[in-house]
Amino acid sequence: MRARGMWPRHAALLVVCAIMLVPFYWVVKTSLTGENIYAYPPRLLPQAPHLFNYVDVWYLIPFPRYLLNSVIVSLLAVGGNIVLNALAAYALTRAFPGRRWVVLLLLSCMLIPFQATIIPAYLITARLGLLNSWLGLALPMLSTIVCIFVFKAAFEAVPRSLIDAARMDGLGDLRILARVLLPLCKPAIATNVILSFIWSWNNFMWPLIVTRDPLMQTLPLGLARFLSYVEDTTGALYAFVVMVLVPGLAVFLMAQKEFMRGLTAGATKG
Amino acid sequence: MSTLLGRQGRQTAMVACFLLPSLAVFLLYRILPLGWNVWLSFQSWSPLHPAQFIGLDNYDEMLRDDDVFWTALRNTLVFMSSAPIAIVLALGIALLVNSDLRGAAIYRTIVFLSYPLMTVAVAIIWRWMYDERGGLINFVLRRLGLVDKPLAFLQSFDLAMPSVIAADVWQVLGFHMIILLTGLQSIPPHLYEAARVDGAPAWARFWRITVPMLRPSLFLCAVIGILNSFSSFDLVYVMTNGGPGHATELLITWIYKTGFGQSRFDYAAALTVAQFALLLVLTFLAHLASGGNAGERA
Repeated sequence: MRARGMWPRHAALLVVCAIMLVPFYWVVKTSLTGENIYAYPPRLLPQAPHLFNYVDVWYLIPFPRYLLNSVIVSLLAVGGNIVLNALAAYALTRAFPGRRWVVLLLLSCMLIPFQATIIPAYLITARLGLLNSWLGLALPMLSTIVCIFVFKAAFEAVPRSLIDAARMDGLGDLRILARVLLPLCKPAIATNVILSFIWSWNNFMWPLIVTRDPLMQTLPLGLARFLSYVEDTTGALYAFVVMVLVPGLAVFLMAQKEFMRGLTAGATKG
Repeated sequence: MSTLLGRQGRQTAMVACFLLPSLAVFLLYRILPLGWNVWLSFQSWSPLHPAQFIGLDNYDEMLRDDDVFWTALRNTLVFMSSAPIAIVLALGIALLVNSDLRGAAIYRTIVFLSYPLMTVAVAIIWRWMYDERGGLINFVLRRLGLVDKPLAFLQSFDLAMPSVIAADVWQVLGFHMIILLTGLQSIPPHLYEAARVDGAPAWARFWRITVPMLRPSLFLCAVIGILNSFSSFDLVYVMTNGGPGHATELLITWIYKTGFGQSRFDYAAALTVAQFALLLVLTFLAHLASGGNAGERA
């Protein structure tokens, strides 16, 4: 009886899932299709599937270079986020004059979308001489307010007595942070890593603004350039799309729980 | 006493050192740009000639002479409709998933899958889905006999905007679902049990318990939806680049085009101020609509 009552729910959810998944299928299918992808009617299954398009990507565009840039910028962003956010969060767990104001400042900064700052942000980066550089690409993303609050909540959940004991043993603040708190807050570290990786990996507008040199462009820019360059006449574009999506998807699927926790924690604290 | 002060001083120094790097990033890329942007909007300035104070001339041009600004403003408000659409759909899905349904976790993952994806890639995926020859949507419509010749979704003045909105809803649906699920799970089950004992029908339980208890989550979704529609640069830039004509031009794409396409940084700064003011007003309205107390939970 109960199981039967569930069938309409399953049917509705299956329709939703189909709508969510079909676009992926369509792109993967196109990337594997050997013949003219514009032939009408399009085939629902790839005809003579092969991987030529995936090979083409390496020759048609400086794919390795884009990949290298994306990886370096993402590593800088992830490293920056872990270190800077952990330090800031640790400071916020201590009592100090003006703490309320710092928290208020951070919360109001969250209301400023990055897109509302692009012109001066570009000018500032230019004055710093960081246009067309890895550091310039990563700098605005080196610390994230949401992730500071993720760390802060995790640190506050660690028993006070543990920290006091460490202090009795003569550990300084940096050591307490690195040796006591961080090892106990692995989920918060995971959340920081995943959120900052996905944000920097997917970032498009900032690289578009601060890189003119094709050699400094990241994967999303390469993708957009490829689109205008080949006018999507080839399946290689879709192979490129699949190759770019896979790392993000892999990271997400491996650490779904931390990712969702980060989003909801950030959202509710914000 | 002196050691106590010393410790306090050390503590304050530590706090300052630890906070400094993060605050420097935010100062450099959030606060300073905000002020600089306002200052710039009152100047006549380009990389080629020195800044000159011109008062409200940029705003005057924006409000009186720039038709694209008004188009972009209207389009941004229209584009914002993706938020309520996505929230309603996400609420439906969240209610379906929020039970001891077998496979609920798998459904949840699949619905969420599109959210963390690179938006540029999502834009290319949807360009291809809408394509006249290779696209699945036209193929299905033609097979079902609903249209006799393919629809040029992204090249049509009428269809381009709804098409882009649909792609946006597809991407953000999972995010809203997760927020609403968290909200649903925080509703104490005894409220529903009490209502059931009192004989309240399902729709009454939904409107009298679920919706009021979900208010903070709905507010959050609304605010993030508003923020999202102001920052949906990637999707529109890649799918239509604001076209055809300016049919899908948003404030953010117009700011980019005037600023970086035409090197009119001063004017783009004025557009940015207008956009930010609008954002604050809308966030405030959402705050009022949620009952004004959404920020006080937690």
